[in-house]
Amino acid sequence: MDRNSRLGILLIAPLLLLMLVGFVLPIGATAFKAFANPEVSAALPRTTVALDRWTGEGMPDEAVFAAFVEDLQSPQDNRTFGALIRRMNFEQSGMRSRLSGARRAAPDLEAPYSVSLIELDPAWGTPDIWQLLRTHSNPYTATYMLRSMDLRIEPAGNIVAVDPNMAVFRELFVRTFVISIWVTVFAVLLGYPTAWYLSTLSGRAESFALLCVLVPFWISILVRSTAWFIILQREGPINAALLFAGLIDTPQAIIFTRSAVYIAMVHVLLPFLILPLLSVMKRIRPEYVRAAASLGARPWQQFLLVYLPMTMPGVAAGALMVLMLSVGFYITPVLVGGLQDQMVSYYIAYFTNTSINLGMAAALSLLLLLLTGLLVAVASRFMPGLSTGPRG
Amino acid sequence: MSTKSYRTSVFVAVPLVAAMATGVSARDLTIVGFGGGYQDSAREHLFMGYERATGVSVSDDVYNGEMARIYAMVEADDVTWDIVMVEAPEMVRGCEDGVFAPIDWSVVNADKFIPTGVHECGVGATGFGVALFYDTSRVSEGPQNMVDFWDTERFPGRRSMRTGPKMTLEAALLADGVPLAEVYDVLSTPEGVDRAFAMLDEIKDDIVWWSAGAQPLQFVGSGEVEYALAYTGRILRAIDEENQPYEMLWNTLIYSIDYWTVVQGSEHTEEAMRMIEWITNAEPLLAQAAVWPISPANAEVNSDPAVQAANPGMVLNHADQGLFIDTDFWIEYGDDLEARFAAWAAN
Repeated sequence: MDRNSRLGILLIAPLLLLMLVGFVLPIGATAFKAFANPEVSAALPRTTVALDRWTGEGMPDEAVFAAFVEDLQSPQDNRTFGALIRRMNFEQSGMRSRLSGARRAAPDLEAPYSVSLIELDPAWGTPDIWQLLRTHSNPYTATYMLRSMDLRIEPAGNIVAVDPNMAVFRELFVRTFVISIWVTVFAVLLGYPTAWYLSTLSGRAESFALLCVLVPFWISILVRSTAWFIILQREGPINAALLFAGLIDTPQAIIFTRSAVYIAMVHVLLPFLILPLLSVMKRIRPEYVRAAASLGARPWQQFLLVYLPMTMPGVAAGALMVLMLSVGFYITPVLVGGLQDQMVSYYIAYFTNTSINLGMAAALSLLLLLLTGLLVAVASRFMPGLSTGPRG
Repeated sequence: MSTKSYRTSVFVAVPLVAAMATGVSARDLTIVGFGGGYQDSAREHLFMGYERATGVSVSDDVYNGEMARIYAMVEADDVTWDIVMVEAPEMVRGCEDGVFAPIDWSVVNADKFIPTGVHECGVGATGFGVALFYDTSRVSEGPQNMVDFWDTERFPGRRSMRTGPKMTLEAALLADGVPLAEVYDVLSTPEGVDRAFAMLDEIKDDIVWWSAGAQPLQFVGSGEVEYALAYTGRILRAIDEENQPYEMLWNTLIYSIDYWTVVQGSEHTEEAMRMIEWITNAEPLLAQAAVWPISPANAEVNSDPAVQAANPGMVLNHADQGLFIDTDFWIEYGDDLEARFAAWAAN
């Protein structure tokens, strides 16, 4: 390696390091967490070995029962066993009381355990429960990814749809993308004329108008969302104005509805559309439109055939930015929306903060990342001005 | 050369100093509760009282019952909370899961509590409950019971309830006419759970969910919702101290007991046990009872006629009118109903 290329590597080393620390490692850790399944083998090491020898047909033999009871009797950290309880109860309801009951009784159980354990709780006499433990003694599992798509693995290993009462994630992902796409559409409809108007200004008027876009942009999202919470209240300024204008007779419930989510999200994200669009519009020389006019194009033709195509790279860049940001939005829907208006991030937070299921949180994050990537890939294929290939 | 090495040393030194500045320092004994007026009075008479009595520095923090924070602390072996107030089912589950340390009953005197106040990992703190309330200046004729609360024809407007299945499913069954004594029998069957969710479906579009105890007071106060189930202590404070024209219905009470727990792996475990013993003694509790309607699990204070008479808002005074939350039920079915509720609420 010559001196120059060594120097080159040295120069990009900080960048590579940043990519590694800020990008590769967190995403890698999330992906790992979405598939990791250490709970059963950690809490029941002997049972794991014994179950491995079992064919999975019929009932396991006394060796498995003995190993299981020995695992239960061994003095171990409550935390390890607690993790097992929560893990298995997530897979099958009722496992919490089954496992903790067996653990409490374990010191007093006598051989043969395949008799005494079943006497304690008949559930241990069914193959299902042992198949469940066997399936999940594997250190990796697809269970979280499947659950993120409203699917689950039965104890024997086949994949089925979850109970309709428990299904939530397919609709949640659809809702997340529907909200994000509508927010993008509204942002484009509002942002395009605004950016155009800004591009026609000059001097002091321009600086002032630009400031009106930038100042909200600089204010934290939390503050802006909270402001919408106040503005949209039933006894807030919007309702007061509508009442005063005689447009409505009674104050409307706006806050905690889908409309409130749209209003607040579009406002929060609008600058991300206006700013890239404005920089493109500023560079379009007015001669093009004038040339079109002098060649006989009507105003709508001047716009549709000349001006709009030239601004498409700005629209595409801004729209993509708005779309990607809205897909991951959390705080705005939490503050101004109801429970039916929450997006995927709400459930990532729910599994992290309330339900204590990091596997689900990781799986949802990973799926959201993959679907967003897919959406961007599709969008860049079909949206003019965004693809890196030759423009058509 | 000199400029270069100067620059290098700056690059090395700045992160180094920054890392040292954020380094570990001695941590106060930290006690965490649900906040609000209860915690204000507890801070004054229990937490600071202990600090004055022993010289141990105590600081307090507030949470909304998110157990994940405690689980994460214990799993990461980085425990920054020592004593935490938790609801009963969470206390028992956390005990099974090894996130709460066993109580040292040689330090804490078990004899002073009402029978439900003593558990392997929990020491009875105070009774708490939610009840229905509304603003009489906005709603002249409000709902009189849980059945009315569900009646959107006679009582139009939005309602606010706590996010989550606990207390919500009970309220739904009470609204469907299930007697107090049978609520958990019904809820223990799959049909009973379906029945509760079917009741919730009826008013789903009219419910605004709250997570922090201050929210329902704010929603009713600002006219955002007409009726709400909220913590009784907060409603009473709004009525007594802020002179709000609120009507609260004791016959809609759903109540339980909160427990003091010690987080597993806390560096202050022994001190925490001593503090729990002190703050559940009659003397500090009587001082607190003088300023806040607590329902302590300390039997002497709880049955003190003077305290009861002075505090008509004591939850345990209204026990016969309300529904006592069944801890065993929520330990057994809590995880599943949480999941079912999350799916129901999202759709």
